[in-house]
Amino acid sequence: MLMIETPPPHGGRLVERVVRDPEMGKKLAKKCDAAYDIKPTLSDGVPIRNVYREIMSICYGFFSPVEGSMKKAEVERILKERRLLNDWIFPYPLVFDITEEELKDLGVTAGDKLLLRLKGKPFATLDIEEIWRIDNPEELAHKTFGTPEDNPEVVKEAFNAKMPGWVIYKSLNPVVLAGKYTIINEPKFLSPFDRFWFPPRKSREEYAKRGWRTVINHQTRNVPHIGHEFLMKDAAYTGDLEPCHGIQVNAIIGVKRAGDYPDEAIIEGHEAVNLGGYIKPERHLVTFTLWDMRYGNPLESMLHGIIRQNMGCTHHMFGRDHAAVGEYYDMWATQILWGKGIPSFGFPAPITDVPYGLKIRPQNMKEFWYCPVCNEIAYSECCGHTKEKQKFSGSFIRGMVAEGIFPPKVIFRPEVYKVIVKWWKEFGYPFCNAKYVTEKEQRLEVDLPDMNI
Amino acid sequence: MAKYMAVLLDDKRMDAVKGSGLEDKIDKMFGGALNAFTLEISDEKSKEILDTYFTARIDSRGFITDVPIAFNRILFEEISKTKSLGEEAINAVLARTDEIKEAAAKESEYLPAPEI
Repeated sequence: MLMIETPPPHGGRLVERVVRDPEMGKKLAKKCDAAYDIKPTLSDGVPIRNVYREIMSICYGFFSPVEGSMKKAEVERILKERRLLNDWIFPYPLVFDITEEELKDLGVTAGDKLLLRLKGKPFATLDIEEIWRIDNPEELAHKTFGTPEDNPEVVKEAFNAKMPGWVIYKSLNPVVLAGKYTIINEPKFLSPFDRFWFPPRKSREEYAKRGWRTVINHQTRNVPHIGHEFLMKDAAYTGDLEPCHGIQVNAIIGVKRAGDYPDEAIIEGHEAVNLGGYIKPERHLVTFTLWDMRYGNPLESMLHGIIRQNMGCTHHMFGRDHAAVGEYYDMWATQILWGKGIPSFGFPAPITDVPYGLKIRPQNMKEFWYCPVCNEIAYSECCGHTKEKQKFSGSFIRGMVAEGIFPPKVIFRPEVYKVIVKWWKEFGYPFCNAKYVTEKEQRLEVDLPDMNI
Repeated sequence: MAKYMAVLLDDKRMDAVKGSGLEDKIDKMFGGALNAFTLEISDEKSKEILDTYFTARIDSRGFITDVPIAFNRILFEEISKTKSLGEEAINAVLARTDEIKEAAAKESEYLPAPEI
């Protein structure tokens, strides 16, 4: 059969743990044994993660089949085999961690129900099934991302404090409350995020409404430069008997490293690509997932595959240095995972070809560069002018932006650059810095309705 | 292996280098859409720059990037003064590290947005 159909959710069914009836939400809140105010995880006083984003992504089904904070046995299996206890592949431990003092104050035990408040209002519940402890968070961080000794196929350097994901795991509190989350008071997204919120059930409905049978996803944590635009356009020529019907951009929204663009600029920058008609809006859908990036290259790509398969995408494009920072991983580590597997991470074959693996199809792409001889944006596997090529370097472009130099059209569409400047004026800075991240964690992407209990 | 640094030349900087003898060292990038000086940086100096500036990194082209904006500004000043793209310009910049770090601390909190 040549025709490719929408894949099933990872794990077979979409997790949806959102109570939409406020009265039912109140009833559940009243049954709780204790209450806890969610706050960001800090490193050197700067936010690096907020567990609320994990709760949102779990309860709306982005991370299906995960339903909550993981038990000790599940974390151990993920670190050993990258599989959940139900056998489905999954890359990262996800836990609700608190301090010993907080546990003492809460006085909860397994079997209790904990009310989680966000911005001072009821948000979700956690049905505590197990309380366990992380003995050595630094060891957990190393095991999460791999080491050059244990994972020589792709890990080139030992992870350290310059790697944001490693810092997130190293900074975990020692006590884990494991169990299922349920959102009992549905948050309302703030502008500009509200118009890009397409959780898996809604995205699948949207594709059907648009008549999209095949959809290729573009992962982003960036404002799109022309190289990104051509990656999207050219990767979308895959499909089955015709190119993919839809190009979905799914931006990762959450805490990012200093020097990345603000979330607001990222999401509106991608929208500017379709508003400017460079990819027409009928073929382009900008969406997001809440997640504090771990920058785990191949492991992050596995999570991206899970998210986008759950959203209903048939294909996922992957380029060089996917979701990477520094030179810890081989620059093609993601394509190695999807192309032949990484045995030391538990995958002797591509993750689409292992039991309980993924159904979404990878489209591994090499590079796009500007070629002055071809006088166009060229694909590295086509263009023979390797001496004359000029590569798109994200950090070079960031430097140009920071110096206030108006980028030429061959680097940024003017509509996209205007979005960068719009948010630069708003935040007084073009990129994420400590001030932006700190204020963003107070503001978050959502507000919550009042719920008196 | 030697690394590189690019100093972008906007209209103001292009005016400043007129008649300096540096015009023939200007590289045309992206089909002439951008002008820049490209400096070759020795391994020793690359290491010194990376060690001195926490954010600095080497990108996929082999260029040192993510240095403070003040670094690039002062590098352009030193190129203009020394009329050279050689190591003397980089040495002069590294001698002004305290000044660059002071400016970088301010620039990490606020940068004026361009009027477009």
